Amino acid sequence: MEDQVPEEENRRLIGDLNMMIPVRCFTCGNVIGDKYSKFMEAVNKGIDPKEALDELGLNRYCCRRMILSHVNIIDQFILYEMVRLKDAQDI
Amino acid sequence: MRKISSKLIMKDERQITMLVKGVPVTIMNSVRRAAISLVPTIAIDKVYVFENTSVMNDQMLAHRLGLIPLNTPKNKYKTKEEHDCEGECPECTVYLYLKAEAMDDHVIVKSGDITSDDPDVYPIYSDIEIVRLAPGQKIELTMSARMGRGWEHAKWSPVTVAVVRGEPKVRIFHNKCDLCGECVKVCPKNILKIREDKLIVTDIYKCTTCMLCVDSCPKEAIKVDIDENNSLIYMESVGSLKAEDILVSAFDEIIRKMKEFTKAVKGE
Ligand code: SF4
Ligand code: SF4
Ligand SMILES: [Zn+2]
Repeated sequence: MEDQVPEEENRRLIGDLNMMIPVRCFTCGNVIGDKYSKFMEAVNKGIDPKEALDELGLNRYCCRRMILSHVNIIDQFILYEMVRLKDAQDI
Repeated sequence: MRKISSKLIMKDERQITMLVKGVPVTIMNSVRRAAISLVPTIAIDKVYVFENTSVMNDQMLAHRLGLIPLNTPKNKYKTKEEHDCEGECPECTVYLYLKAEAMDDHVIVKSGDITSDDPDVYPIYSDIEIVRLAPGQKIELTMSARMGRGWEHAKWSPVTVAVVRGEPKVRIFHNKCDLCGECVKVCPKNILKIREDKLIVTDIYKCTTCMLCVDSCPKEAIKVDIDENNSLIYMESVGSLKAEDILVSAFDEIIRKMKEFTKAVKGE
């Protein structure tokens, strides 16, 4: 298992890794955690991002930038984790 | 004493706008502040992690869970100040549970997967993504939600935006105006319209008093003022309480504080 991570180091990690879209907008506190997937779905269908955001009811620019600037890093993290699990199984 | 009158301008489940005439912005601001930091709601406060093999660490998971807005039943649970307890008792705390495992495929754990001891306390939005699990990963958590106030942590704050501003007043001098339409073009809220050879304001409460119309007018025929003796209050709820209930509770909280103060003055 993992070693105990020192508290300071841990805090740094928590601060740096925003692996999934935050639950709330950093500025106003509006819930955006349920809207990223809906936004991506709409954009992949070819809908204009502006219209997709309007459709989701995000009318302040603080909430809009949360969605627009987000990168879902958890997908990349999960890849490493799966490799690790596979290696463990092979041994 | 100045006469006070209130007018409801817009209201739905999430939002409320009211014009309160006769109450200056400086005083109405205390209602806004009470709404942000004093109106109690319920939110997840402690998370007991029995198993977490996801890539997200426990603290971050707990942080995300805390921010999920929960439905707050009226007068059912007590805040810390209202009763004597060492943290968790049935009068202030509800337990919620979350258990998820990914078998063959990736699973996105959503707020809708949370189960609760009390059917009145549940996540308002069921699609909030909490964590993604790869095959073989598992989480098992028990959470305790309790009543709290915004000044303790922002997760208990029932509002996203709460604004108080002076009443906007747009004056048009029809004798000077030549209906050139410059102000109509420039208004970011599209509230100026020319109808039947007359410039009119369609929805005055949408005016942000940006003064763009004043700057654009070549004839100085339009003037915008802010009347700070009347206040315009706007609130948007996070979802845990109805917007109108937040406004009413904010007043209640101020009255409660007043009573405490009166008692202190009398030395009771
Ligand atoms: S002040 Fe701004 S929002 Fe108000 S009427 Fe003029 S241009 Fe429109
Ligand atoms: S810009 Fe001035 S003159 Fe032109 S329509 Fe507006 S108020 Fe009238
Ligand atoms: Zn926002």
